Amino acid sequence: MKASRRPLLTAGLALAAATALALTGCSGGSSSAQNGSSKPSGNATKGSISFWAGPSMVGGQDMNKILITEFQKENPGITVKYIPAPQDTDTNRATLTTQISGGGGPDVYLGDVVWPAQFASHQLALPISQYLPKSYWDTFANGLVAGATYNGKVYAAPFFEDQGFLYYRTDILKEDNLTVPTTWEQLVSDAKIAQSKKQVQYGYVFQGANYEGATCDFMEFLTDAGGKVLSSDGKKSALDSPAAVKALTFEQSLVKQGIAPAAVSTYQETQSMNAFQDGDSLFLRNWDYAYASANGQGSKVAGKVGVAPLPTFQGESGSGYSNIGGWDLYVNPHSKNVAADLTFVKFMTGDTAQKIIATQFSEIPTNQAVRTSADVKASNAVLAIVPQTQLVARPSNSPQYPEVSQAIYQAVNGVLAGSQSPSDAIKSASSQINTAVSNGGL
Amino acid sequence: MSARRSKAGQTGLWIAVGVIILFVLAPIYWMIATGFKTTAGVAAQPPQLFPNPISFENYTSAFTSYSFGTYIMNSLIVSIATTVLVLAFGTLAGYALGRMPIKGKLPILVALLMISVFPAIALIAPLYLLMREVNWLNSYQALIVPYTALNLPFAIWILRNYFMGVPKEMEETSRIDGASPLRTVWSVVLPMALPGLFTAGIFAFTACWTEFLMALSFNSADAFRTIPVGIALFGTPHVTPYGIIFAAATVAVVPIAILVLVFRKSVVSGLTSGAVKG
Amino acid sequence: MVTAGTVPRRGRASRTSSHDARGALPPRRNAYQQSMARLGWGFSAPALVVIAAVTIFPIVFSVVMSFSNVNVLGSGFSIDGFTLSNYTTVFQASVWQYALAFTVGYTVVTVTLEIVIGTLIALVLERLEAFRGWMMAILLIPWSLITVISATLWGYIYDPTYGIADRIFGALGMGSPVILGTPTSAIIAMIVADVWKTTPFVTIIVLAGLVMLPRDVYEAAEVDGASGWKTFWTVTLPLLRPTIALAVLFRILQAFGVFDLPFVLTQGGPRNATTSLAILGYRVMFTDLKFGPGAAVATTTAVLVVLGCLLFLRVFKSQVTETGDES
Repeated sequence: MKASRRPLLTAGLALAAATALALTGCSGGSSSAQNGSSKPSGNATKGSISFWAGPSMVGGQDMNKILITEFQKENPGITVKYIPAPQDTDTNRATLTTQISGGGGPDVYLGDVVWPAQFASHQLALPISQYLPKSYWDTFANGLVAGATYNGKVYAAPFFEDQGFLYYRTDILKEDNLTVPTTWEQLVSDAKIAQSKKQVQYGYVFQGANYEGATCDFMEFLTDAGGKVLSSDGKKSALDSPAAVKALTFEQSLVKQGIAPAAVSTYQETQSMNAFQDGDSLFLRNWDYAYASANGQGSKVAGKVGVAPLPTFQGESGSGYSNIGGWDLYVNPHSKNVAADLTFVKFMTGDTAQKIIATQFSEIPTNQAVRTSADVKASNAVLAIVPQTQLVARPSNSPQYPEVSQAIYQAVNGVLAGSQSPSDAIKSASSQINTAVSNGGL
Repeated sequence: MSARRSKAGQTGLWIAVGVIILFVLAPIYWMIATGFKTTAGVAAQPPQLFPNPISFENYTSAFTSYSFGTYIMNSLIVSIATTVLVLAFGTLAGYALGRMPIKGKLPILVALLMISVFPAIALIAPLYLLMREVNWLNSYQALIVPYTALNLPFAIWILRNYFMGVPKEMEETSRIDGASPLRTVWSVVLPMALPGLFTAGIFAFTACWTEFLMALSFNSADAFRTIPVGIALFGTPHVTPYGIIFAAATVAVVPIAILVLVFRKSVVSGLTSGAVKG
Repeated sequence: MVTAGTVPRRGRASRTSSHDARGALPPRRNAYQQSMARLGWGFSAPALVVIAAVTIFPIVFSVVMSFSNVNVLGSGFSIDGFTLSNYTTVFQASVWQYALAFTVGYTVVTVTLEIVIGTLIALVLERLEAFRGWMMAILLIPWSLITVISATLWGYIYDPTYGIADRIFGALGMGSPVILGTPTSAIIAMIVADVWKTTPFVTIIVLAGLVMLPRDVYEAAEVDGASGWKTFWTVTLPLLRPTIALAVLFRILQAFGVFDLPFVLTQGGPRNATTSLAILGYRVMFTDLKFGPGAAVATTTAVLVVLGCLLFLRVFKSQVTETGDES
């Protein structure tokens, strides 16, 4: 027995080494996406696919489960295995990247609206425009498909849209005889009135923490001020402009004047929602979900909350810009049953599914017909004002968007936390962006 | 021992114990209390020091809206299996590297250290390739084997340290009595090093119990997911639902507390001292 | 060849007396030693094989990536060419330089605090008799909390609206500081959360070491009439040094990899103030999908920690690496 140990060890190590070598050999290779010669078009009637999406619970019901049940009713031959995904967006992306680059992963996955360029350039998503006709892409609301397009191909089907809204306290505006602000300047003066009367502690809460949300909020101020992040060819930064400095200076002034709490530099959606629901603030910038939340259980301002398009700067026409958020449906290049995947994607973006997500889960549908149908608009105050808003997309058509966004939110966060002046922050963010889009830096 | 302590010393001791308990338990209390609050209770101002009303809604939703029962089961299976393997392999290797005349112990020990130094995030992607190659994705062994490997270095180091504290005379006696080295480890060294074994075991167990990234990446099927992955499914990208997260975390702490209470005798009774004195 | 047991082991003089004579035994011992050495390898084999099988490939893979032009693609990792550019990129990046300084400082402060507090708590617990098991159970709760959860718990405690910390500061007349909003206070808040969670790790290691200390030494000290403190400094601490050194070593490894706390609490902010090397590495790899520079961050981190640990081992050689065959 003693003698047999040593060969065992040697054998074990050899085995390990062999495995390692075998893997290094194959890891560079590729497993082809769809080896069938006929082009799938989403009319499959049988097969089994997996669907990766973060659970979306309303009243203990998961939207994804309900939709899958509906899908199977229409397509009894196709089995959809639901894989609940982690809620944190970065964790979600990390897991998908690991799995897909490792040759595995789910067939269809729900991914952030800012992922297409990055995922396309890393071949983590299938260009599905090659399978689906133009008539399909025409069913979406304006501009959404463009956001999922990279180098002329569409890499994802928009599933639900999201965007920034202005939430306000109806009771206080009424008491003070104020109208819903249409300019940022008016928002400030309204806030000062309510604050001086001690009706609220703060005027406006938004997202200023060191994360993606701060980029979203800044995009709105920036576009209102007439600025933009990237040049039109996407090859260099266009951020270093008086408009950007104006936008960031305004954000900073909200804190400096006490309109926004100093803690806004630590606010993500959760914290800003907490402050608003606690009755601490007159206005709130948040996404579509905030309406139901502010009027729901645990909110001290339930029944006293209105929603409107975001304001813009004085002198600009129309409403302010709303940053586009939301989630898209992607197909894994490794999927063995692209036809069934596309059937599922088409169902999820079709009338039945889109109506369910709008009316039961108050998501903003991407399907133009559903979005504009009277019953959907009547089901939810937020959906009713969607047509009045102007949208702006983050510069996510650059594959280096994550780094561009880091440069932006770090600048915003640094300014809100008081460690930098707006003009310095914009300058350094701009040079960081230039480095990033030229694919340099860390 | 306590008999000879002065009264003032005793009082001081109990004050110290009180401070420690307060420092450790105040946040834990806050977590447990929040888990029993309603959505309105979580948001109450001033904060409710005691949940009012006491609500089980967070617990119900963890178990009904999500498969939390399955996650607990999986965590138990993976953590227990890993702990057993780590202790078995770690005891043997720790004893060999502590007490047996192997050449080149120091390089091995340092190599073990280097392995535990390598950032886990850098291992995930290549390990995924490895797991996929051996067809282990979505299985218990996809977690048990890497967890065992990654927890062994620490276990070996720590067990070795405690084994070296066991008086050599005892082993000599056992050897002279004709016991094999394996038998000596089992019946002489291990009983003497029980506190060390307990320590190594509890660290291996908690490391598996709390590991997130590998569990998430290697086992995507809900049937093989563990508690940390389960908790990451709560809420939405924009909402941190404190109530349900803390309810689930409270449930997750229970097995560890039971484990410690069951095995606490091995630390409490000071077997070593008795043996040496005797 | 100098073999184990022939050198009196330092720091344990009290127990080595009986086998000091073994080195003088006749050469027959060598055959026995050899068979024991073989058996020693046999004992170590299962552990070493598992560790090697799981870790060698990923570590080699990462190191190779750090020296190559890597592109992560859906079809796998495309790795080509030898390059040092990943490292030059990393070393030149001010965010890396800051993250390194932050991580080192954070490690030094938290590990020092945790070792001191943890050892003190272990000493207190060692004096308790029946209650010790319960205290262990209590202490293990923070340690066994899922790291993301404990970070979330502290996030809730520090929450500017709902947080109890804000109330406590208010009650103490300290106003309403933005706890996570300035670099200094955010770092302190992180340290508090870290000390709370990981001090039990130190306590448990040290306590197990304390419990296993030979009683006779204490009794001798008592007979000599030494005071409690004197016994601690002259008897307990020297005997405990290997155990404490072990706790320090592994705490350094863990602290250097701090990730979940800033990931949840501060997202590395304000700006970059709490960006640790692990946060940076994760972001570069999994958010920016730059696996080459990301692997370079990881490899550099590992090398630096190994160097730190070797330095530490050198200083504490007699305690930690007491193998008996290094002299």
